[in-house]
Amino acid sequence: MRILIVEDDDLVATGIKQGLRQAGYTVDLAGSAEEAERSLRSEIFDLAIVDIGLPGLDGLSFIRQLRSGDNPIPVLVLSARASMEDTVRGLDVGADDYMCKPFRLPELVARIRALIRRSNTLTDASLRHGPLALNTATRSATIDDRPLDLTNREWAILEILLMASPGIVSKDRLVQALAGWDKDITPNAIEVHVSRLRPKLAAGNIEIRTVRGIGYRMDPVAET
Amino acid sequence: MKPVVLSLRSRLLLAIIAPLCVVFAVSATFDYRLARETADSAFDHSLADVALDLASHIRTTDESLSVALSAEAEEILRSDASDIIYFSVRDKAGRLLAGDEALPSHEALAVTRVDNQMSFADRQLHGKRIRIAMHQTASAHGPVTIMVAETVNKREHSSRRILVAMVLPSLAVILATLLAVYFGVRRGLAPLEIVESEIASRSPRDLRAIDDALTPQEIRPLLSRLNDLFALLREAAASQQRFLADAAHQLRTPLTGLQTQIDLSTNEGRFSSDPERLLRINEAMQRIGHLIGQLLTYARTEPTTNLSQSFEPVALHDLVEQAASIFLDQALSKEIDVGFEAGPATVPGIPWMLREALANLIDNALRYTPRGGVVTVSSCRRADECALIVEDNGPGIPVDERQHVFERFYRINGTPGDGCGLGLPIVKEIATLHNAEIRLEDGAGGGLRCSLVFPIPSA
Repeated sequence: MRILIVEDDDLVATGIKQGLRQAGYTVDLAGSAEEAERSLRSEIFDLAIVDIGLPGLDGLSFIRQLRSGDNPIPVLVLSARASMEDTVRGLDVGADDYMCKPFRLPELVARIRALIRRSNTLTDASLRHGPLALNTATRSATIDDRPLDLTNREWAILEILLMASPGIVSKDRLVQALAGWDKDITPNAIEVHVSRLRPKLAAGNIEIRTVRGIGYRMDPVAET
Repeated sequence: MKPVVLSLRSRLLLAIIAPLCVVFAVSATFDYRLARETADSAFDHSLADVALDLASHIRTTDESLSVALSAEAEEILRSDASDIIYFSVRDKAGRLLAGDEALPSHEALAVTRVDNQMSFADRQLHGKRIRIAMHQTASAHGPVTIMVAETVNKREHSSRRILVAMVLPSLAVILATLLAVYFGVRRGLAPLEIVESEIASRSPRDLRAIDDALTPQEIRPLLSRLNDLFALLREAAASQQRFLADAAHQLRTPLTGLQTQIDLSTNEGRFSSDPERLLRINEAMQRIGHLIGQLLTYARTEPTTNLSQSFEPVALHDLVEQAASIFLDQALSKEIDVGFEAGPATVPGIPWMLREALANLIDNALRYTPRGGVVTVSSCRRADECALIVEDNGPGIPVDERQHVFERFYRINGTPGDGCGLGLPIVKEIATLHNAEIRLEDGAGGGLRCSLVFPIPSA
């Protein structure tokens, strides 16, 4: 996995670079939008981290330019201004996620992992979460390459939880998603399906956490 | 088009001078007409005397009428300093017995005034206006018509003199009034100018009240409003100053902690990576980051910066669900059982502010609830109000401390935790802006139950 960091502050850029290297990513630095553009033309990256306050062409304009050139690369925006307008504009011009400075490295890594996971589903129909792998084309799942025996409903729940991770999925949303197979499915039935899923995932050390009053969350697995 | 705004002075001058001029014009017109009539009647009277004098020269015989007028007598009759005198005496057939043929017959006269058997008329003769006096007297041969006429030079001359005599004093009075009003108004408005120059000479930082003891009562209400505004600005400026000072002080403390830990880690130029010390450095950094975030949020909730933002419907249950994603990890790391009850409730508001308010309430609950505690976040709608509620089973807030916890940087004595003292002040600012009420109550499990209660706008 190769990541391009577009950030003009050297201290921040090298800090992120080291952090992402420790998490197992290959990292390139660009100090300006112009430099980033040259790198993106000649190399292939899996994700770009773009600071809004760049010298010359600013981050938002750079992303807009990227998207108008049909470049689908996932983009995470960094902003020093914690104003909502800024971040909303960032998402409007085509960024996939944003973080406000100051942020903590573990959180940045978690967001990057989720972004890359989502973009991979679009390209090769595979979803990974630690040792767990889902193939959305064949609707099959494996843990450490050993096939998992799942019902259709279990598989649908697993896919939604995995796509949303590390976000929380409400029970209502699961009910709506499963209504395609079972019109009269109840929140209680969802609980039953989830409780059957849990032991099947235990082999991969993966936990589906109940969030009281809301729903479920697939807990992030520490990357090895 | 720019509306024309007259100065106070122009308004006053206009209001006084315009009616004054009208009054003078009307009264002068009446006076002039009266004076002219008096003068004219005097002139008419002397013309009539000439006519009567002529009548005494008529001689009647058995066969004929004649006028016995010697050349000297006629010369005396016709003599006048400024006007030409005409006369004619005609018998009942209209034949001229004496005088000028040019004067018309009495049937052709348009009589304008009759006075004591004497008729008067105006007429043109040889291109000039003349005044005619006509008298008819009986004789043995029928009535005799006597006319005496004169040009109007005397009369016009006297009119002009009357006019000048009347108008000049009036003009002088108007001019004098104008000057008096102009300077009077200037004097009257002087206090305004004093206030104006007093304000103009101030520096932008000088927000003292304007002394209104010596100002006339007409502008006192204006000054009083202005002073109210000054008071508000003074308060706002002072609060900004205090906030700035507080903020700097608050940042200094964790920075000092950080500096100390880094100093301790650096030994003769080498950095010793004592895990305990690194943990402290990390903690200090987090506190600084948290504090800066809170300071920015607090600054952004200032009412003056939000006047332009308009309210929109905000679903409180969505805020609760979003909060679940954000705070789950923080709760798990303290082994706090955090639960959510997102009951449907929608209020008009500014979304980011309500999100921020809820985040601060949850953050407080998670900070002060001990490991293994329970925190429940909920939204609900009751009969006439909507609420965001965060309840915990932590230590709670003693009743006598509850009024203080909304003060900036206030910390309850002896409490653990690393809050920065801005959380509840931020919530309070946001609540005030949303016309909402903050209720601090004892929680069901002994901790604190903090509710942000919004009135439901009447539909």
